[in-house]
Amino acid sequence: CNKELDEVNINPNAPEIPQPDYLLTGTTKATVDSYWGVTNNMNSSLLFAQHWAKVQYTEEDRFIYSNSSFTALWSTGYAQSIAGFNKIIELSDAQGNSNYKGVALVLRSWTFLLLTDAYGDIPYSQAGKIKQFVTPAYDKQKDVYYGILNDLKSAQAALDPAGPVIVGDVIYNNKIASWKKFANALRLRIALRIADRDPAKAKQVIDEVQAEGGAYISSNSENAILKYDVSPQQNPVAASFETRNDYRISKTIVDKLISLNDPRLPIYASKTENAPQGYVGIPNGSTNSEASAIGLANSSKPGAYFLDAKAPAVIFSYAELLFDRAEAAARGFTTEDAEDLYKQAIRASFLQYNIGGTAVEDYIKQSGVVYNAANYKKSIGEQKWIALFGQGLEAWTERRRLDYPQLTASVNTVLNGQIPVRFIYPGTEQSLNGQNYKNAVSNQGADLLTTKLWFDAF
Amino acid sequence: QNATVTGTVKSADGETLPGVSILIKETKQATISDAKGAFSINAPDRGILVFSYIGFKTQEVQISKNGPISVILQSSDNALDEVVVTALGISRQKKSLGYAVQELKGQDLAEAKESNLVNALAGKIAGVRVTNSQGSMGSSRVVIRGETSIAGNNQPLFVVDGIPVDNSQLNSAGARDYANTISDINPEDIESISVLKGPNAAALYGSRAAAGVILIKTKTGKSKKGLGIAINSNAVLETLLTLPVYQNAFGQGSEGKFSYVDGAGKGLNDGVDESWGPKLDGRLIPQFYSKGVAVPFVAHPDNVRDFFQTGYSLNNGVSVADAGEKYDYRISYNNLKQVGIVPNSGQGKNSFVLNTTLKITPKLSLTANANYSKLNSDNLPGTGGSRSTSTMLQFTWFGRQVDINQLKNYLDENGKTFNWNNSYYSNPYWVAYENTVSQNRSRIIGSLALNYKIIDGLDFNFRSGTDYYNDRRKVRIAYGTNGTPFGSYTESAFTVSENNTDATLNFNKQLNDDFSLALLGGGNIRRQYIEQNDQSAPKLAIAGLYNLKNSRDPLVSSNNLSRLKSYSVYASGQIGFRNYLFANITARNDWSSTLPAQNRSYFYPSFNGSFVATEAFDIKSEALNYLKIRGGWSKVGKDADPYRLINTYVFSAPFYGNPQLTTGAIDLNPNLKPETTTSTELGLEAVFFNKRFRFDLSAYNTNSYNQILAADVSQSTGFSSKLLNAGKINNKGIEAQLGITPVKKAFTWDVDVNFAANRSKVIELDAEKLLTNYVVASNSAQVIATVGQPYGSLFGTAFLRDGNGNIIVNATGAPTTNPTKQVLGKYTPDWIGGVYNTFAYKGISLGVLVDASFGGSIYNGTYATGTYTGVLASTLPGRAAEYGGISYYYPGNKKENGTVRVNVTAPAGVTVYDDGIVFDGVTADGKRNEKVLPAQQYYKSFRNIDEANIFDASYVKLREVKLSYNLPAKWLRPLSLQGVSVSLVGRNLWIIHRNTVDIDPEVAFNTGNGQGLESLSNPSTRSYGINLNVKF
Repeated sequence: CNKELDEVNINPNAPEIPQPDYLLTGTTKATVDSYWGVTNNMNSSLLFAQHWAKVQYTEEDRFIYSNSSFTALWSTGYAQSIAGFNKIIELSDAQGNSNYKGVALVLRSWTFLLLTDAYGDIPYSQAGKIKQFVTPAYDKQKDVYYGILNDLKSAQAALDPAGPVIVGDVIYNNKIASWKKFANALRLRIALRIADRDPAKAKQVIDEVQAEGGAYISSNSENAILKYDVSPQQNPVAASFETRNDYRISKTIVDKLISLNDPRLPIYASKTENAPQGYVGIPNGSTNSEASAIGLANSSKPGAYFLDAKAPAVIFSYAELLFDRAEAAARGFTTEDAEDLYKQAIRASFLQYNIGGTAVEDYIKQSGVVYNAANYKKSIGEQKWIALFGQGLEAWTERRRLDYPQLTASVNTVLNGQIPVRFIYPGTEQSLNGQNYKNAVSNQGADLLTTKLWFDAF
Repeated sequence: QNATVTGTVKSADGETLPGVSILIKETKQATISDAKGAFSINAPDRGILVFSYIGFKTQEVQISKNGPISVILQSSDNALDEVVVTALGISRQKKSLGYAVQELKGQDLAEAKESNLVNALAGKIAGVRVTNSQGSMGSSRVVIRGETSIAGNNQPLFVVDGIPVDNSQLNSAGARDYANTISDINPEDIESISVLKGPNAAALYGSRAAAGVILIKTKTGKSKKGLGIAINSNAVLETLLTLPVYQNAFGQGSEGKFSYVDGAGKGLNDGVDESWGPKLDGRLIPQFYSKGVAVPFVAHPDNVRDFFQTGYSLNNGVSVADAGEKYDYRISYNNLKQVGIVPNSGQGKNSFVLNTTLKITPKLSLTANANYSKLNSDNLPGTGGSRSTSTMLQFTWFGRQVDINQLKNYLDENGKTFNWNNSYYSNPYWVAYENTVSQNRSRIIGSLALNYKIIDGLDFNFRSGTDYYNDRRKVRIAYGTNGTPFGSYTESAFTVSENNTDATLNFNKQLNDDFSLALLGGGNIRRQYIEQNDQSAPKLAIAGLYNLKNSRDPLVSSNNLSRLKSYSVYASGQIGFRNYLFANITARNDWSSTLPAQNRSYFYPSFNGSFVATEAFDIKSEALNYLKIRGGWSKVGKDADPYRLINTYVFSAPFYGNPQLTTGAIDLNPNLKPETTTSTELGLEAVFFNKRFRFDLSAYNTNSYNQILAADVSQSTGFSSKLLNAGKINNKGIEAQLGITPVKKAFTWDVDVNFAANRSKVIELDAEKLLTNYVVASNSAQVIATVGQPYGSLFGTAFLRDGNGNIIVNATGAPTTNPTKQVLGKYTPDWIGGVYNTFAYKGISLGVLVDASFGGSIYNGTYATGTYTGVLASTLPGRAAEYGGISYYYPGNKKENGTVRVNVTAPAGVTVYDDGIVFDGVTADGKRNEKVLPAQQYYKSFRNIDEANIFDASYVKLREVKLSYNLPAKWLRPLSLQGVSVSLVGRNLWIIHRNTVDIDPEVAFNTGNGQGLESLSNPSTRSYGINLNVKF
């Protein structure tokens, strides 16, 4: 009867062995949904970056969070993304298709980067290995960055445009050459992330890429994006605005765009519903009463571009790549022309939103925009902040690193005038991985929104 | 010399008694009376026949030669003669058992009817903890002797006439509290309920015995007096028992300001769904119904109460029963119509029951039982906190000035939904009438049984039974609902079947004058099948048409099938010595499909014994009538749920034509072993003073180990949880039942007391001892099983305190949260009990049941939210000078400057507020806090500090009052009636004592283990009405 009972217990609801392409689509989508979604983007990092502000239920905009507020990045990042990408790597090793492995390594590295940028010390070397580690130890942030850099190097080696084909890639439509460029772009991003702390390593990474003859993302058509579809596969921003009305564009960025006469303003922001129709941001950190006093109809939602169901989630843009190259040059890591790259970056950002013509050349000439070699962090920081609009996690991280633009916290906020510089660990780590959590806290500092991370030297 | 002896057995009131055991004292051969009470046995001349039967005194009759014997058995209240139903439906003398069994008679359930059978057990049986449903149509949870499974089902197994029946609560689509399915059984059809409290009594049921077994015996046909027809009619009204206590001094708004334009933020704070607005002093303010005209801003104290209506239920049933020489039958029909307290909620039930036995030959009989029930509901009351369906959500975020009567017409003149708040809510009547969930369940519980007497004393039994139902739900969210602008439509369909086939051999023999022997051996095949199909149109294409084709988006479907099969063999034996010493042994081996082949087979035994001291030492005293000690040890095994061995991957809808898979959340375990529970039980039964004082005391110690649980792990492992096979939990406790008869004359007064205290302790979660917590449920606070603590710990955020226990405040004067979460209580009570007083005089009897639960805690989500939103009366202190508020101002009228208390007079030109409160705490440097907080900020400051919202859940309730009158027989005879009784009944009439505010501390949220986290529960209800029973 054993055989009969075995058969009864075969699960008829879900596969025991997955296909790598199905897993690639599913895991990529789940990761990007979380990256662009409410918890990690709209209701946290976009507020910290002062791209967006809350017009209702403003507690988060005043930095009132609980220790369960930041669980989504952790839970999706580890239990969906890293677990899924690990499985693809395992399958591709078994099936001898190194391109699946390369792609999965790149995406897993990006996920680890999001995690460490937000929380600091995180499980890396023991992560995603439940058979060996039920309570994974936290690696120091520096070690995480070093580890990801190695992984990206392996990915680069594994990816071969002439190698076996892959399917199920919804970012680059199975084009391996583009993945190689994206992998290098991430290496450049990380090199700069640690540049204030560890300039030698930063330079070494950039040199390595160069020595490999590696190419970077070289046009907007090579942006790493996930393009959404109509409902129910709509962009998370569109999904939120379908049922809720919590967010407006921040007064900080509206004022900045107006002061620079920036043609991206009508892309980034919608006009107010009530006359006189115009672009009105909500000040970050308003109380419910203050926000309510401005009113839902008298403040600007994000622009139609961002509210569209099919809007893309941007992971890495050509503009960012050019800003990174400009900064690498400004720091002396390369011999490229920082100012020229800076201008190219702004042009790329305009083109990302199909703003053509000569508008950009007039824009670049303005005193508020013109490249300041003496304070490259200010020039790059401010323009990058504008170019990264909507990419909350990246914009917030870059602002923490470059310290430009200079943002201030509202008097209604609760962190003694500070803006959060990290996510707090999920409260569940205290109960489920207590000793390692304690070790991480003793290494990194109290588990608070205001504890600076290793990369954030200044 | 032997001859065939025939005869009949009847009760004192003339009813024939089927199933009476008839034993020939000399030869120890035995037989059983048939459906008409008739028997026939080959017996020696002038031999002695011993008649014994449940609830009757054993009687010995000497055979004479004067033809058929007619025996009348006297009903018994003698503990020595009592016969009870034990595992697998075997009748045993209670004195022979080494464990506690407690019974309830059907009449106790039928008169004070509950639509959920489980509720009727509350307070009546020691060690049985019932948590009542929200309202009267929801789920109720029953736990016997504490939670023995950390993660699994702790609901007892229900067995109806030998057939295990389903009591699941299948999901909660549409945010409804669906009743657990044992509620399909109509109390009117129940003859008796026997509660086997845990493994010692229930070991023979195997896998599902650890949580105890509730045996239900339905009524069967008896030879009729009169027409054999009985009619029962029951009409009950249902009203609110609890409601949060609201304040009526301040209306909607924030910081004292409010003015309505569109209810969505265009006006002054008119999108704010809280009551921190202006005083309700009749000042003129435009409101939602006034079309821009300023109208008096006044309180409507009953605006929530008035939303609810008086519910009722009408329960009508008829039955016909008879028994003949070769047959017996009982047919009943029952109809229930129930209307809930939430507008537009209700349900109907129809049930048909047929119980019949055919005696094919003197040795072979066939029993066929069928119970068909149909549940129909157009809409069940919305529960929980979903904005499109919840009943209590918007009343906890509410404007206290809202005139509910202005909302009854929920569409305005343009056909648009019309509400006091349009930024988040839909009109409560819209929610009740448009966003509905219907339920429709058809169920058949049927069995066929054969009994063949091989020789006297040896029987073969074969029984096969099925419990099969279809349950369909249709969830409608209307077009135009706030937050779901296109509406949605979902259909859920469940098919559940459980099939059990048993074959047993039964042997009973009195070996000699000293020894008796009862043996049983048998086998079981069990199949379980559960299928769920869900289809959802996430956005409707056109309004008002609820059909899956009417969808804007691709349909979302899911479909799940679960199958389980097991084989078992079992045996039991009882040896009795001289009627006072008994030893019982059971053994069972199971093979389950859910376990891996290497661990599939598992064996478990039990032993118990009893010693009746009064018999052994021949004590015949007025003071001590009966004394028995008993004890036993048992072990039971338990298999896993299906498909828990190999990890699988999760599908989601294709994205741009690409199928999607993601990893599963649980790391499954290919090496699962069965769970094991061992239990030791000791007991003492005694009767004193001419049976005026009776008690039954039990103590038990239960260890459950190798528990299968999906323990949460750090997600950095790549999984949210890991299926472990290691958890250990201990439960120990005592139970006492006490019966006192203070008065026993024409007027009698009986007091039945039951008491149970259980202590649980989680010993270990994983073998490596890496994990300390298992999360059972999460809301704001969590329910966890944490090593070293009782089961059901409430775990959450606490106030940050200094060494002296003072709460530390932050720079603004608001309390701070301890970053480390704490265990803040446990939901499981320390002890529970009930006192049932029965007063009887002639045909009149009055029963009063008071029950109590002490020592548990509850997270009061209604209080947490209602304090934040300022709707509760508990937010009044300090809200204005007349409520003790402190006067303060902001220097320069700038809020960023912080508050300053007005000492004598305020500086000229500043606005003075009178709603200041100082939080009772200390600053970080240990000084007494003196910072004045505006009331709104004060009351909002502890919503996320769970400690502030956890209350003691103890209660004392007046659970049941029943006044019955049996009309005298002499009145009925001329009318050809056999019996008429009229009862006035009331249930859940009064919460005599509670330590919580705003909610009923006893609220089930489902039948699972995640209790103690109240969240916007529907108010509980009291019911009272009349019951009429007529026998023709």
